[in-house]
Amino acid sequence: MSASERTVATEGTTAAPATSHTITLTINGAKKQVEVAPWTTLLDLLRESLHLTGAKKGCDHGQCGACTVLVDGKRVNSCLTLAIVKDGAEVTTIEGLSAGDALHPLQQAFIDHDAFQCGYCTPGQICSAEGLIREKRAKTADDVRELMSGNLCRCGAYSNIVAAIEEVMGACTRERDGRGNGQGRHAVGGGRGEER
Amino acid sequence: MSVSDLRLFEMRRPADLPDVCAVLAERVSRSEPTVLLAGGTDWLVEQETRPAFAKEAALPLVLDVSRLPALRGITLDGDRLRIGAAATYLDMRRDPAVLARAPMLERMGRDIGAIQIQARGTLGGNLATASPAADGVTALAAYDATLVVHSVRGERRIPFASLQTAYKRSTRAADEVIVAVEIDLPPAGSPWIWRKVGTRRAQSISKVALAGVAVREGDRLTRLGLGMASVAPVTALLSRVRTLATSRPLRDLTAADIDAAVDADVSPIDDIRSTRDYRAHCARSVVRAFLRDLGAPV
Repeated sequence: MSASERTVATEGTTAAPATSHTITLTINGAKKQVEVAPWTTLLDLLRESLHLTGAKKGCDHGQCGACTVLVDGKRVNSCLTLAIVKDGAEVTTIEGLSAGDALHPLQQAFIDHDAFQCGYCTPGQICSAEGLIREKRAKTADDVRELMSGNLCRCGAYSNIVAAIEEVMGACTRERDGRGNGQGRHAVGGGRGEER
Repeated sequence: MSVSDLRLFEMRRPADLPDVCAVLAERVSRSEPTVLLAGGTDWLVEQETRPAFAKEAALPLVLDVSRLPALRGITLDGDRLRIGAAATYLDMRRDPAVLARAPMLERMGRDIGAIQIQARGTLGGNLATASPAADGVTALAAYDATLVVHSVRGERRIPFASLQTAYKRSTRAADEVIVAVEIDLPPAGSPWIWRKVGTRRAQSISKVALAGVAVREGDRLTRLGLGMASVAPVTALLSRVRTLATSRPLRDLTAADIDAAVDADVSPIDDIRSTRDYRAHCARSVVRAFLRDLGAPV
């Protein structure tokens, strides 16, 4: 069912006034005017109205990251983002990363490193990795692991995902036992806080 | 039911803060449900679990406050840090003033979900939802932050200690908009702690979390701020621990005294995330760990 169909269907069952808003989004470089209900999530708009089905609905609770897209360059869970709130924003989905048939370097690296099994989380992983690379904050494998922690892979392809991202990131060294990430420890400060 | 099947609501983007206050005052006076939406990371999920609206109920109005300039921005004026209620956790984590002067806030912000959630979630939302498990609120408790709220009656400032009254209840009136939080910062380089105990490091709700800031002069603490999540119906301020630890030299603190103060300050329960006993154990351990780092022989 498309978002617009759902609007009509829902209106028939309540006394609510018609609630539809026109918003403008730049999606993968193309400016589009779309009609949305206030409760249409960005994910539903992308998948059901615009037929960009790369972003996936996994948990629909903002926990799994399969719906990750870039909004104004920032990684967000599109399942928890109301489309109407992002009026005027620039959205990049997995469909917008490749240039025609030429794969984006991250897409190629995911293939080269066998960084997926079922592939359901992969569009979210790649969009998230693109955000991570643009942020220029990850320096080590530990950084990649932390900064990709919002993207779950139930097949457990994590080590290959990290390898694929590191390759594209151009990281020369893999840090395995170096600086700790604080896991299982408390963070204390006074000039001794970790930097990331 | 999924988020895509949300019940109907109206959405409006108010022009400015006076507009929000006016709309809110009017709707609250008529008992019409109204929601201020910033990041929406809690509220959208909540829509799935709350009871459905009665058919005859007024249509909820959602006011999108995420872009209001009055609610955005992070500023440092002397030792006073002001964080807009709709500034995101990511804004906070990247802010030079926060990094330099309030590193505990940055460290806490890392444990709020993952980057995708941090890019949307806000302190204002955390305060409005008012969960005793809220990490952001716990950090504000440790800083003894002040809430700045606005309504048609003007501005009001609520010290953290007089904010929370019961589980998800506060002294903020229904028509008051959370505009910012203000923190009187300890000197740069002061000790702090952020310790979250959960099923995993982030993307999980705390079983127990401790936030702490301190100012130490010699063998004494001249300031100790503590907040603890998920151990009471409201964010625990650990007032007995604060009083104990600032009342005598650090070397005179004993583990038994600290444990007794913690036990008196918290009232944990068994629930799906943890047990009363484990929470009490963690509460004692993390408080002792912080005081040990500060120099107490415990």
